[in-house]
Amino acid sequence: MERRDRRFGWMLSAPGLLLLGAVVLFPIVWAGLTSFFDYTLLMPGYDSFVGIGNYRMAAGQGEFLHSAWITLLFVVAVVAIQFVIGMVVALALNDARRGKSVYYLILLCPLLINPVVVGLMWRMILHPTLGIVNWLLGTVGIAPVNWLGAPDMAFWTVVLVDIWHQVSFMVVLLLAGLSALPTEPYEAARCDGATAFQRFWHITLPLMRPVIIVTLLIRMIFAIKTYDIIYIMTRGGPGVATDLISYFIYRRAFVSLDLGQACAMAVMLLVVIAGMTAMLWRAMRQVGE
Amino acid sequence: MRSARGAALLRHLILGGFSAVIAMPLLWVLRVSLTDKATAYRLPPEIGEIGLQNYVEVFTAFDFTRWFGNSVTVAVLATLVSLPAAAMMAYAAARFRTGGWPLMLGVLASQMIPPIVLVLPMFLVFTTLVPVPGLVAITIAHVAINLPFMAWIMASFFDADTRMLEEAARCDGATRWQAFTRITVPVAMPGIIAAGLLGFILSWNEFLYALLLGNHSSQTLAVGLASLETHAGVNIAPLAAATLLALAPVLLLLPFLQTYLVKGLSLGALK
Amino acid sequence: MRPHILIPFGAFAMGAGAVQAQSINILMEAVPDTTYVQELLPEFEEATGIDVNLEVVNYAEMHTKLVPQLVSNSGSYSAIVVDFYWVGEFYRAGWMQPLDDRIEADGFDTSVYVPAMMDLVGEVEGTTYMLPFYNYAMGLLYRTDLLEDEANRTAWKEEHGSELRPPETWDEYRDQVAFFTKDGIYGVVNQGLRPDPIAMEWSNYLFAHGGTFMDETWHATFNSDEGVAALKAYIANIDQYGPVGAASFSFDEAFNVFSQGQAYSYITYNFFRAAVDDPSQSSVAGAAEIMGVPGPTPGEGGSLNGAWGWAIPRSSPDPDAAWEFLKWVESPEIAKRRALMGGSPTRLDVFDDAEVIAEYPQTEALKELLLGAHNFPTFTYTPQFVEVLGRELSLAVAGEKSAREALDAAAEEFDALAERDGRRG
Repeated sequence: MERRDRRFGWMLSAPGLLLLGAVVLFPIVWAGLTSFFDYTLLMPGYDSFVGIGNYRMAAGQGEFLHSAWITLLFVVAVVAIQFVIGMVVALALNDARRGKSVYYLILLCPLLINPVVVGLMWRMILHPTLGIVNWLLGTVGIAPVNWLGAPDMAFWTVVLVDIWHQVSFMVVLLLAGLSALPTEPYEAARCDGATAFQRFWHITLPLMRPVIIVTLLIRMIFAIKTYDIIYIMTRGGPGVATDLISYFIYRRAFVSLDLGQACAMAVMLLVVIAGMTAMLWRAMRQVGE
Repeated sequence: MRSARGAALLRHLILGGFSAVIAMPLLWVLRVSLTDKATAYRLPPEIGEIGLQNYVEVFTAFDFTRWFGNSVTVAVLATLVSLPAAAMMAYAAARFRTGGWPLMLGVLASQMIPPIVLVLPMFLVFTTLVPVPGLVAITIAHVAINLPFMAWIMASFFDADTRMLEEAARCDGATRWQAFTRITVPVAMPGIIAAGLLGFILSWNEFLYALLLGNHSSQTLAVGLASLETHAGVNIAPLAAATLLALAPVLLLLPFLQTYLVKGLSLGALK
Repeated sequence: MRPHILIPFGAFAMGAGAVQAQSINILMEAVPDTTYVQELLPEFEEATGIDVNLEVVNYAEMHTKLVPQLVSNSGSYSAIVVDFYWVGEFYRAGWMQPLDDRIEADGFDTSVYVPAMMDLVGEVEGTTYMLPFYNYAMGLLYRTDLLEDEANRTAWKEEHGSELRPPETWDEYRDQVAFFTKDGIYGVVNQGLRPDPIAMEWSNYLFAHGGTFMDETWHATFNSDEGVAALKAYIANIDQYGPVGAASFSFDEAFNVFSQGQAYSYITYNFFRAAVDDPSQSSVAGAAEIMGVPGPTPGEGGSLNGAWGWAIPRSSPDPDAAWEFLKWVESPEIAKRRALMGGSPTRLDVFDDAEVIAEYPQTEALKELLLGAHNFPTFTYTPQFVEVLGRELSLAVAGEKSAREALDAAAEEFDALAERDGRRG
């Protein structure tokens, strides 16, 4: 590559990098450093260096591992379901001629509602004896569903609410990907008599690969960081059925005030997500080239 | 053409069903917003007295105007600042492999840490090291949150092969910058708009930084609306009204969205 | 809150006056008592020239909002309100300024406060750090109309051979819960959400069964037989006598079940008593009353105490102005007027005030409730203990642990936390 190209690249990146460096570099370094100390907000200070003590304690904690496991299930469930629904809706929307703006307006609404409000509204709607959903189910003879009060059901209820809230995120990105696709390959394929499914499989999917992977990746990162909905809807309960890892770390930091451990957990989470991202990235590069 | 009509019907069935699922809870919110808490919870649902009292209360008893103004300010500013920065970064990464994958991964990694452990040092920076007003601090934080995601989204759109077109333009005497702004940006417009939209939404809904970095005059909607959940219960009826009012930005955004809702420019159109 | 459009004008007026405008920020949450303070604020601002900005946030996020402010050397809050279970933590971290010198200098009388209030949100280890703001001791809300109903009275007499009346002991209450669970009405509605709703509610059950949290050497005692019986009773109430899903209810959901007339009783914070009579929130206005949670014998109550206190943080930018405000808001006159607006008093003189009693006849019952209430263990790690207790109780309610296992696990962690806090010295 030409040297001037390289320089141009760095010039383009500079504003963003400077901004990021100025704002998040210090907090990240701070978090990394703090993870090696017995640092609590009760007695903030770097007097006792504990090495990997915080990491060892976190890794040996059953509750933390349980939260990690629940989070994995949650992320796989919401990302997979949202992707399938999002793709179907985006494909339909991309080809729709009439009513496109109306559909789009409606699907944007949940995204613009704050997660706290989403949680409160759904708690009302899903109230076992006073909620409209159970009442409607009752009119067709279905017994009241214990949406949030039974461990397994609560997990799926939270998944469901998250899907309602965030599925449009997928639609927005995938639809943008679809609208940016060139039209020529489709015209050629139509001449060759390819079926709709063949066109989707052999043209749309390969061309969309970068967008799809980035969409999945970003949605995954958001899903791992989910905490508002848990905070409002279940507080990790009943028992520990919905105790997602971000909420766990949140409590470690701001209820136990044990920032050393919270930072260690956060760094462990970072390493795992970064590893997953690197794998996805490599997969994208390899298939793409 | 029967199959084409069948496909169109199927599309509208899918979209109609999906929209209905999305809209039904919102219709319930609308109903709640027109009544009081006691009526809202009464089953079977009764119409009761319908009125706009909650909408009035949102403005008189709560600081809705200020919350809304703050949220719009923060989200618009954060998006306007981060979108071009992220676009340039994304283009550099996609076209010149600037910094290679470690850079892009590093940029995104900054958002893989739960914000709860970053917010405290950031709070200390913005209150003691570089004291800035609440709204400015929130906006800066949001720029940093949005930028990595936007850069990744747009990088995936700049991957589309516009290289030949750019080279052709360069041969015609365009600078690298002109090739970027006049060729690549228009082609990737759907992606740029989607990235901007999602950045706006991220900022609009962000709660933790807005809560900790703000004060009474810089409360955003996310923080303000959450305060309606109290130790003495949830003030659900005004909350419903405020929630619906807060959806207004969708309407503000719509003109921008039309650009890519009507199918985007394709490569062919540029040739 | 004032419409914001007025604020620039207010600031302008202040700036134009001879007095240099001073302003203090206070962080609060949107409970009725906050609203009353807000309504009275203009008088304070007029009298002192000090502008007060009340920042109102979600109650569950208040602690998160406060901690960085308190850790930092230069916070933006001149005064704060402190929930009783943060007191030990704030004290240990040195986040509050002692008030004794100011109290003495201005001759502020703290002897008028209910002693339990001063213990909870006033003094720590002999030093006064807070002035009690309002109390939220828990009580038993019950439906008077169901108790007075002739058919119920007859049926009860046949079954139990006694008169149907507000319960005097826990056993009598438990029988009533079973008795009223019929015809689409539940005997009780519970708030089983972790961590604080369930932990706070269950504490009443513990006290009502004659249990205690700990002995004098800070060893956990709540995993005693009384504690296990209390947890079993709690689980039975949720599973057999309450609505589906009570295991996940926060106070709002539970209150709505009660206020829609679906439950005979609900153990909750006493300020919900006023909400029951508000027809915009309740369908049972005028048909419910509150009393102390009945205990093992008619003489003993089972209520859990709770309160918020005013404090001046160490990081306060303007402690003097903050003290001016505290003195004003807790003065006999303002305390009484807040009570007349519907507030929950902490001062005995307000509880005994004839005007207040005339306006709110339940004041006397609320005073009894408060005097008989038990305190939750307050120490440095109370928030963490609430978290642990809430989790273990929730596990037991979800059927994933037995009552004894859950309480033993919580007791073990309580002992460890007390040990870490140096309570075994």
